Amino acid sequence: MFVQQLINGLTTGAAYALIALGYTMIYGILGLINFAQGELYMCGAFVAVLLLASGQVGFVGAFLAGMLAAALLGVALERVAFRPLRGSHPLVPLLSAIGASIFLQSLALLLFGPSDRPFPVQFEFRTVELAGLPVSTLQGLILLTALGFMVLLLAFVKYTTYGKAIIACALDRDTARLMGINVDRMVALTFFLGSALSGAAGILMAIYYNATYPRMGLLPGLKAFSAAILGGVGSIPGAILGGLLLGVAESLGAGYLSSGYKDAVAFVILILVLLLRPQGILKGKGH
Amino acid sequence: MTAYLLHLAILTGIHIILAVSLNLIIGYAGQVSLGHAAFYGIGAYVSALLALHLGLPFPACMAAAGLAAGFCGLGLGLPTLRLKEDYLAIVTLGFGVIVDLILLNLEITGGPDGLVGIPAPVIFGLSFRPQPRFLALTVLLTLLVLTLAAALVRSYHGRALRAIRDHETTAQVLGINTPAYKIAVFTLAAALAGLAGSLYAHYITFINPESFGLHTSILVLSMVILGGMGSLAGSVAGAVILTVLPELFRQFKDYQDLAYGALLVTLLIFRPQGLLGGGQLSLKFLRKGEEGRG
Repeated sequence: MFVQQLINGLTTGAAYALIALGYTMIYGILGLINFAQGELYMCGAFVAVLLLASGQVGFVGAFLAGMLAAALLGVALERVAFRPLRGSHPLVPLLSAIGASIFLQSLALLLFGPSDRPFPVQFEFRTVELAGLPVSTLQGLILLTALGFMVLLLAFVKYTTYGKAIIACALDRDTARLMGINVDRMVALTFFLGSALSGAAGILMAIYYNATYPRMGLLPGLKAFSAAILGGVGSIPGAILGGLLLGVAESLGAGYLSSGYKDAVAFVILILVLLLRPQGILKGKGH
Repeated sequence: MTAYLLHLAILTGIHIILAVSLNLIIGYAGQVSLGHAAFYGIGAYVSALLALHLGLPFPACMAAAGLAAGFCGLGLGLPTLRLKEDYLAIVTLGFGVIVDLILLNLEITGGPDGLVGIPAPVIFGLSFRPQPRFLALTVLLTLLVLTLAAALVRSYHGRALRAIRDHETTAQVLGINTPAYKIAVFTLAAALAGLAGSLYAHYITFINPESFGLHTSILVLSMVILGGMGSLAGSVAGAVILTVLPELFRQFKDYQDLAYGALLVTLLIFRPQGLLGGGQLSLKFLRKGEEGRG
C-alpha cells in the first residue's frame, strides 16, 4: 500500500515538476508568475488528443506536436500579455496573465465542450515485479519520460550557449544585454521551453488519467506553483524536487488521511512553506 | 418587470460591496486576491447556518458572517502578505478551491445541494422579505460601506496604503509598518465580502457552492479592473455595468468568461487605469518602477 502510494505520487509529481519548471524558469528571467501555465498544459493535451483521434498522426508525432503547440502558445502569450506590460507595476502583468488564463480556458470550453475526452490510443499495460515491488509499466514509462525531459533541460541550460545565456539573463538582465545577449529572444526561448514542458506534462497526464477537458490545467497549475515555491522559486533542481515531493505528499495524504481533501494538500504545504521557509528547500532567487 | 428590476438593483448593490472591498486590496494595498468569492461564500454560509440552526436574529448573523470572513482573511494574510505580491494571488486561488471543497464535502453545508429556506431578515420586528424593503436595506448597507471606504481612503491610513502600493521600500523608510497595513486592509476587505455574502444568503434564501466559486471571483475582479484600480467610483461603475450587461446579453451567456478574460488583457494593455481611474494617482501607480524594470 505504502509503496503503491509512493509510486502513484511520483507519477503525478513528475507532471507537477515539469509544470513547475516552466514557472520557475519564467520567474527566474522575468520575476513574474505566468498564471496561464496550467492552460499550456491543457493545450498540449488537447492538441495531442485531437491529432491522435484524427488518425493521421502517429503517437510520437502527436506528442511532439502537442509540445510544440503549447510552446508556440506560450511564446504568443508572452508577446500579447507580458511584453507590452514590461516596466509597469508587477501587479499589471500578473492580472493580464490571469485574464489570458480565463480567456484560454473558456475558449477551450467553447471549442471542445465541457466533457472528458478519453485518450484515443489504448496502450497495453501490465504490472511487473521490480525488486519485489509491483510497478505498472504505464507509471514507469510516464516517470521515465518526464525524467528524460528534465535531464534534457538541465543539460541544455548547463552546456549550451543559449542555456547559459538564459541563466545570464536571469542573473542580471542589464549586464546580459551589455554582453551582447538578445534579452527579448532569451525571454521568448524561456517561454518556449517552459511551455513545451508544461505541454508534455499535459499529454502524460491525459494518458495517465485517460481524460482531457478544458479545466484540466487549473489544479495542476496551482499545485505546480506550490511545488515551485516548495523547491525554491527560480531554482531548476528545486522545481523538480518540489514537484516530486508534492506529488508524493498528496498521494500519501489522500491514501492515509482523506481522499475528499486530496486537492487541499498542496495548498496546506504552500501555506506552511510560506510561513516557515519562504525561500524554499533549495534557496531560490526569489528571496 | 418591476420585480426583476428590483432584483437587479439588489444584486448590483451586493456586487458594489464586493467590488469596493476587492478594490481596497488591489487598488490600495497593491495585492491581487483571486479568492474574494470564498470570503463571500464563508459569509453567506455562516450567516445562513446561524439563522437556520440557532435562530439568531439577522443583525447577529450578519455580524458573525463579517467576523468569520475577516478572521479567515487574517489567517490567510498573515503568512502571505509579508512576501511578494504574486504570492497572495496563488494562495487566495488555492483558498478558493479549498473553501469550495469544504462546502461540497461537509454535511452541515448540505454538499452540492447547499442550504434552503434561509429566513429573510427581520430587524426590530420589521420583515425585509418584500423586495422594496430589501432594496432599501441593501442601499443603506452599500452606502455605509462606500462611506467607510471613502473615509479610509482619504485618511492618514489611506495615504499610507497608497504609499505602500506606489513604492513599498520608500513607505517602509518613511516609517510605515507595511505588512501590518496590508494585513489589516486584506482582513477588512474579507470581512466586507462576508457581509455581502450574508446579505445575499438572506435575500436569495437558497445557497449552494456554485455561487461562490472562481467564476464569481473573476467577475468581481473584472468589475474592479474595468472601473479602475484605486477608484471607488470606478468600482461602483464596474459593478453596475457588469451586473446589468450580462442580463442584456443573456443569449451570449456561454461567451461571458471568454469576454471577461479578453476584457482584462485588453484593458490592462490599452487602458490600465480603467474607465474612471483616470486620476493622477492611478496613472502614477501604473507607471512607477519604469527605471527598475526594463
